[in-house]
Amino acid sequence: MEIAAIQTHGLTRRFGELTAVDDVTFSVAPGQFFGFLGPNGAGKSTTIKMLTGLLEPSAGTIEILGKPFSASALDLKRQIGVVPEGMALFGRLTATEYLRFVGRMYGLDKETANRRTEELLEFMQLANENKKLVTDFSHGMQKKLALAAAVIHGPKVLFLDEPFEGVDAIAAGMLKTMLQGMINRGATIFLTTHVLEIVERLCSHVAIIHQGRLVANGALEELRAGVASTLPGAQSGQRLTLEEIFLSIVGAGDQEPAQELSWLA
Amino acid sequence: MAGINGAGINGSGIGDKSIDNPEPVLAAGGGLLSPLARAQYGALAYLRWRVFVNGLRSKLGVLELGARTISFAIYALMGIGLGVGVGAAAYMMASRDQWQYFAIVFWVVCVIWQVLPIMLASFGEQFDLGSLLRFPVGFRPFFLLSVVFGLSDLSTIIGGLCCLGVLVGTTAAQPRMFAWTAPILVLFAAFNILLVRAIFAWIDRWLSQRKTREILGAVFMVLVLSMQLTNPAFWQRGHRSQGSGAHQQYRIEQLLASPWVKTANEVQSFLPPGLAAVALRQAAENQVVLALEPLGILSIFVLGAGSVLGLRLRAEYRGENLGAAPARKKAAVNSGKAVAAPPKIAAIEAEGRLGISGPIAAIIEKEIRGLFRSLPLLYAVGAPLVMVLVFSGVFIRGNSARVQAPLLAFPLCVFFAQIGFRMLFSNNLGTEGPGIQLYFLSPTSMRTVLLAKNLLHSAVFAVSMVIAGLLASLRLGQPDGVMVAATVAFLLFVLPVNLAVGNIFSLTMPFRVNPGRISRQRGSQASALFGLLFQAATLGVGAVVFEVCSLGGKLWVAIPAFLILAAIATFVWLRVLGNSDQIASERKDLLIATLMKAE
Repeated sequence: MEIAAIQTHGLTRRFGELTAVDDVTFSVAPGQFFGFLGPNGAGKSTTIKMLTGLLEPSAGTIEILGKPFSASALDLKRQIGVVPEGMALFGRLTATEYLRFVGRMYGLDKETANRRTEELLEFMQLANENKKLVTDFSHGMQKKLALAAAVIHGPKVLFLDEPFEGVDAIAAGMLKTMLQGMINRGATIFLTTHVLEIVERLCSHVAIIHQGRLVANGALEELRAGVASTLPGAQSGQRLTLEEIFLSIVGAGDQEPAQELSWLA
Repeated sequence: MAGINGAGINGSGIGDKSIDNPEPVLAAGGGLLSPLARAQYGALAYLRWRVFVNGLRSKLGVLELGARTISFAIYALMGIGLGVGVGAAAYMMASRDQWQYFAIVFWVVCVIWQVLPIMLASFGEQFDLGSLLRFPVGFRPFFLLSVVFGLSDLSTIIGGLCCLGVLVGTTAAQPRMFAWTAPILVLFAAFNILLVRAIFAWIDRWLSQRKTREILGAVFMVLVLSMQLTNPAFWQRGHRSQGSGAHQQYRIEQLLASPWVKTANEVQSFLPPGLAAVALRQAAENQVVLALEPLGILSIFVLGAGSVLGLRLRAEYRGENLGAAPARKKAAVNSGKAVAAPPKIAAIEAEGRLGISGPIAAIIEKEIRGLFRSLPLLYAVGAPLVMVLVFSGVFIRGNSARVQAPLLAFPLCVFFAQIGFRMLFSNNLGTEGPGIQLYFLSPTSMRTVLLAKNLLHSAVFAVSMVIAGLLASLRLGQPDGVMVAATVAFLLFVLPVNLAVGNIFSLTMPFRVNPGRISRQRGSQASALFGLLFQAATLGVGAVVFEVCSLGGKLWVAIPAFLILAAIATFVWLRVLGNSDQIASERKDLLIATLMKAE
């Protein structure tokens, strides 16, 4: 039996009386590009924080590459890369300084960290911005830098929380190519984003979380077929977009605004 | 190998050299000195160095460094002075074999060590260790880093200088005691370092939730007011005003002989400062075995403080992050009532209540809520009021205290109480965080924003000054009417000066204030230093006017003099307000970048 790259069982996180993530169980196979979707406040970021050791689960287990994962699992932490929600950059460093720092924090030797820094900056087209402080970068440039920092140590599993937000079309295309390249070489990518078109294009498998609970999980084609089968006769034959699948599962498509905001122009 | 090793994506060149050739990485391990941990210490040292160097790129950064250097020199002088004082006391006691009094020295040092961190900002930029959690950092290195970063705290530096003073003083008096004094002080210092980190780690945890923050804020205010009332009431009963020096000596001896003091003395001897003193005394009396006992108990206290800190850090390390707790979801509203409610917005509601224009009322309402949810601000305003108790005591020594209180005692006490307002005045946008953007987006001028804040702060200032005045009257005796009027006129001059300077500082040297923390705050030394200089300048002007008028026997002249100064200061304040939109516009990038900066 193949060892899952990411496996959760009964993953739960409570904040006081609120259960942000409720009994979430799923598995991501090695080499999968896994899209983790959900409406705002559904529990996506909370889940990704637990999966990367930034937040302790209230209950449930996490396995990464077949081993139990916790904040103190240092060997596993070196196998994963993360673009966290707020990017966690140090604003008063240059991009070179930041990447060198991150490389060293992941245990790369100095020479390797320096070489990879140069290669990544070149690839991300940030090499010419070397004198600027990170705080002076545009949002898209910061995203690219955050992604470079997430991959500098060559992770086997990559967690990306909204990596394409604020990134221009050219850079987004470049990043998608890079991520696809990683998948081709056997890496696993766990992606959360609101841009469903990206998920549809990149991800082979999708899970949808809604109000803290996992409401769908499987190969994109399986989900498509499953949702289509619930539609009335004439519609069941058409090829659904991910947006239609998502709205159908989350149920937002049926909801009408409680009242029209008549004072809006 | 998975990952980008050998990616060579579309000829981009990434990892071309490393295809099929795994990169050398350091062995993992959570040990304090594992190769990975050592590399991480090096990386963090590099990070701190580069952040420091890059901070000097801007003029503000250079200004900040200059201010830090001056502040450091001032604090170093304070610390050295304190260390010399403590050392002299230790020398006197050790040379006279009065080892029993060492407990007083250790208690004073311990209190300074634990209380000072919340009185003064740290020199360095505060580093949030939480940002390291995504890296493979072991718990032991994480713990060590937490303690090491704490070593640059002002309290630790001053406490360390005091310990050094005790060591030098004791050794100078009795060189044979060095071998005992040194390890005792090392343990005592270790205890204090760990305890202060533990206390603030726990306080920060409690303050991370709004509800506890508000409860603690309320408790704090009650405490401040209780102390205000209790102490003067105690002294009002006449404890002060009786007898000669010999009589007071007799009273002190009586006090020391009282059962509760004896009990307190016994209890303190089982606490770290007392234990350190007992160990020192017994070592001095050559009772080596007996000296080891308090030393052992002191070691247990060190372990205890370390464990309490470890408990908190362990939770942080595991990913406990209360600040990340999402807001509780409201029940789903299906009826649409919330949307159908009358089209009132908060500002309009506030307008009705306060009777002033919409945006100003809205900002005032928001500021009131924010003030009571921000312990650092409450503390800054409240703590000097407590200190007035101590401060006013300086003026009432002697046999018939109140009669002999100097002329300037009353205005000085009141002036002292407003020192904490510097934090409110000079960084009045600090608590806005990313919300600062709203002020630039909304059709409200920065002038209106600052005016609203100034109005509220003036009201709080007025209340605080009334309390300080009442307190000073209780302790010093009722001042005459002319003095009260002159002091009020003086404050009417001080207030607009503070507001004008504060507005300029707020727009030019802002820093983000975390309302959930009273330790590990970011700060601007430049703002703090220049703020204190302006305070000193206004005090100087006040002192000159009071002195000149009183020397001529016409104190009443101070009233119109201060009122003229107040009119000039008010004019300057209004000019600053008038120009605030222009200053804000020029500094928009700085304001947004600084206040939006992540914790």
